[in-house]
Formats: sequence, C-alpha cells, structure tokens
Amino acid sequence: MAQTETARNATGEAGGEGDAEFDPIGTLTLIGIYFVILLLAWVYIYYVEFLGRDLVVVG
Amino acid sequence: MHIHAYEKLWLAASVLLILLLIGSVTYGAVGPGVAMVADGQPTVDAQALDEDERFSEPRVERVGENEYAAYVVAYQFGFEPSPIVVPEDSTVTFYVTSRDVIHGFEVVGTNANTMVVPGEVSELTVEVDGSEEYGLICNEYCGAGHHVMEGKVNVVSQAEFEERNAGGDAA
Repeated sequence: MAQTETARNATGEAGGEGDAEFDPIGTLTLIGIYFVILLLAWVYIYYVEFLGRDLVVVG
Repeated sequence: MHIHAYEKLWLAASVLLILLLIGSVTYGAVGPGVAMVADGQPTVDAQALDEDERFSEPRVERVGENEYAAYVVAYQFGFEPSPIVVPEDSTVTFYVTSRDVIHGFEVVGTNANTMVVPGEVSELTVEVDGSEEYGLICNEYCGAGHHVMEGKVNVVSQAEFEERNAGGDAA
C-alpha cells in the first residue's frame, strides 16, 4: 500500500489528495514509542547514572 | 513542497530531542560543573620523575582552604602513593603521571577516570563527600601484570587525615 502511495506521489498524480487516505498511524505510533524510549534512556543515563555517581569531575 | 502532517510531527519530535540532549549537556556544565580532563599541564621528564618536585615524592598535599592536591605516579604495576588518602568533604585535584608506559587511572564506580601517559600530567579535580573506600584500577593494558594493577583512594575524616599526615611527615 505504501509503495503504491509513494509511486503515485512521485509521479505527481495524487497531489495533496493522496494524504487523505494515507495515514500511517502504525508508523506514527512506533516513532512515538521510540521517542519515549530515547527520552527515558537519556534521562536515566545522563541524570541518574552519570550525574548521580560520586566524584563528578569539575576541573 | 507538501509534507504529511505526521511527518511534520516526527520531524518536530527529533528536533526537540536534539535540543534536549544539547540542553542537558549545557545544564551539566553550568549546574553541577561537569568538566573534561584537559591537557593544560606542562610535560615532565618521565625518565627523571625522582627529580621532579611534584612527583619525586608522590603524596597528598593541602593547597588551600579545604583544597588538596594529590600527586600520583602510576607504574608497572601499581600506583603511588598507595593508598591515596584524602579528607572528606573537600576538593581534590589529582595530578597523575606515569614513569613507564601508558596506564589508566579509574576510581572504580565513579566519574574520575583518565588516561595516564608518560611525560604528560593528567589533571582532574573532583569533589569528595563522606568517608568512603574506593578502588583504583588501571584500565589501559600496560603489560603482563595489568590485571593486578590496583590501588585505593581512601576518603577519611579530617582528623584521621591530619593524623596520618603527621605520621607520614615524621617518618
């Protein structure tokens, strides 16, 4: 389905109207999940593991 | 150019992520004062450390109000002084050099970690809190005895530090 859509858009045939039926909600959800994972991982790695350790190098 | 609404959404999210990462690192530098180990120190003669005023006698020295300097020599296979004794709730600057090959200086389980290169002096300043006994290891392969190369960083009370230092001076 996605392929057909890309092909149609590439030829300029569909224009804006193609969007109306093409809502990759699954992709959006996946990217949302990745985003949250990245966010939590960063907060944990930087603020908890790194800054929370002893002997922070200050100079 | 037409961009799908969803695509705009995840483009915005990735830009937000980048800003957040840069923001955290900036916060780390400005707030808690996280710094990098720089090469600001002049070089020393690794073959003649016994003539160097800082490293001929590896030691911990008081250099200011609650500030201490630890001059440490790494060698195959150990660290001098051993253990490195510093008082609690103070700011300690380690000056570490090697008299033979490249070593590592890692206070186990902490962020104090640097390479030790012969002829170069690695300088790193840390804030120490309460009494604690830290391990110290070499994390650069330095020879057959690398795996037994270890030391100790002992954070002791002010009184104990004075006592030990007085004893050291007398000896």
